[in-house]
Formats: sequence, structure tokens, C-alpha cells
Amino acid sequence: MKTSLNVSGQRRSLLTEVQTLGNGVRKKGFGAREMALALPLTSLIDAFSIIVIYLLIGTQNSGVESAIPGKMTLPMAEHATGVDKEVPVLKIEKGVYYVNEKAVPAQQLRNKLTELKNAAENKELEILVQADVEMDYADLDPLLRAGSESGLTKMKFAVVPAR
Amino acid sequence: MTSVGGKDGLNFEINILPILDILSVLICFLLLTAVWVQLGSLDTKQAIGDNSTAGAKNPPSLWVTLDTKGGILLSLRDVPKGTALEHSILATKAGVNWDLLESKLQALRSQFPDLKTGVVRPEARSSYGNVIKVMDKLKQFQFDGVGLSPLG
Repeated sequence: MKTSLNVSGQRRSLLTEVQTLGNGVRKKGFGAREMALALPLTSLIDAFSIIVIYLLIGTQNSGVESAIPGKMTLPMAEHATGVDKEVPVLKIEKGVYYVNEKAVPAQQLRNKLTELKNAAENKELEILVQADVEMDYADLDPLLRAGSESGLTKMKFAVVPAR
Repeated sequence: MTSVGGKDGLNFEINILPILDILSVLICFLLLTAVWVQLGSLDTKQAIGDNSTAGAKNPPSLWVTLDTKGGILLSLRDVPKGTALEHSILATKAGVNWDLLESKLQALRSQFPDLKTGVVRPEARSSYGNVIKVMDKLKQFQFDGVGLSPLG
């Protein structure tokens, strides 16, 4: 190892020295106090690469990403299905309705849902309802009525799948 | 690549530290942007407008009335006559008696194999979490059409 790399007699860089030494090997020619700490860089890069690949694959799942407010706790359900396509999100926070992050007064919900339904390609609109687990059912009622009046037959309630 | 010395010697040195830096930044980025909570959904079929059609035969359905304290009343509609039409499940200190609800639903499903429609009727002050859990229980016992009834 030393003969092949040090033929020229030039002084090698610290990195080269570190790489060519084994773990805890004392380098010849230096004082007794100097101990070369051999970093296993090759295996470190291997480990990093594996983590990167794992995270890349893990984050490329087929599910739809949806932002959930930090203060909102979604209910849990054991028989939930995955959200496999982009649908309008209707969020209820403290009695305020947000359709795709835009606040909509309860009186305007019917018009807004009708507008969304007309804009939908196949006229079969589905919406994803996000609400806190502690919310009263009374806060959901205006949405159900508006949905019924605007001809919305399918509603999805966002939940956290129980393991 | 740097060639030093004579024709026998070759010093090939790759700068590994920038690669490590890039990989570290990539890992941090992926960790920060990863979606850790997988979102699921419970699907419902809602009635629209006035669905009552005179003379039409409705399929058997189970109406689940949920009160504020967690008490449940199971009512059967459009089932053959001569069967018990209502089952009451009293609330416990912890709220809804989920075990009793499960056993009642299982008994009803075995008694009425055609019973596949469930409608949940909560009171105004009922917890949304309990409503979702009741719907989840209905899904567990193969109720295909689960819907929510507005207040009234």
C-alpha cells in the first residue's frame, strides 16, 4: 500500500493518509502522539446511498398528499380506504368551512359545491371532508344539507387508518 | 485524476467529502418533506333531494341513532314483519359501548343477510369522532351503503 502510493516521494494529503490506513493504525514517521483516525468513508457513502434510495422510494407512494393542520386531530378508522385521486378538500375548523383552503360561508356552501360539481369532468363529484375528532356533529350538518341540495352523493371523510 | 511519478505510479484521489455533503443534504431534504401520516377515507353515499318514490320497495336498512352521551338506538326499516325492530344500547361511563354494538351488528347481519344499508343519525352535540367510529363499525360488518342523516 505504502509502496504503490508513495513512489514519487511527495507528501500525501491527510485524506489520503486517512483512507489508506486501517482503523486505529499508527502512521509511521510521525510522533507517537499522532493517531490517524481512519474514517470508513466508503461504507459511510454506502449507508448514505441506501438511506437516500429508501427515502426516495418511500416518499413516492401512490397515495395523495394532503395538508392537515397541525392543530387538527383526524379520527381513526380500521376499515378506511386509501385516497387514490385528487379530490376537492373541504376542511371544517371551529365552524368555518374551507374549500380548497379558501374560506366559504355556510350560506355559500351549496353554490360552491354546485360550482365544483359543474366543473367536474364526469359530474360525479367527490369531496374529502377533514374535521377534528372533537367537533360537534352540528358543524357537519350544513355541509350535509348543502351536499344534498347540490346533488353531491359521495363524500369521503378523512381518517387516519388504524394499524 | 493526477498522475505523479513515473510510469509505474498512479495516484488516483477522489474527493469524497463533497459527495458526503450532497448525500447528507439529500437525506435532510427527504426527511423534512416526507409524508409520514398516510391519509385514509371512509366513503359514504348520501341521499340527495327527495328520494322517496311512492310505491317503490326500499331495501332493508338499519338506522343508528347516536345520542350525545353515547347511547345508541338501532332501528330496522323495511324488514319482514314479526321481527324486533329496535335495539337499544346504553352508554357506559366511557361513552359508547362498542363491544355491545359489535355483537348487535353481527347478530343483525346474520339474521338479515340482505341488510346492507346503514344510516347514522347523530344528535347535534354528538362527537364527530363517535360518528366516524359508528360508520367504521358498519363498514366492518359489510354494510355497503353507509350514509349520514342531517339533523332534523
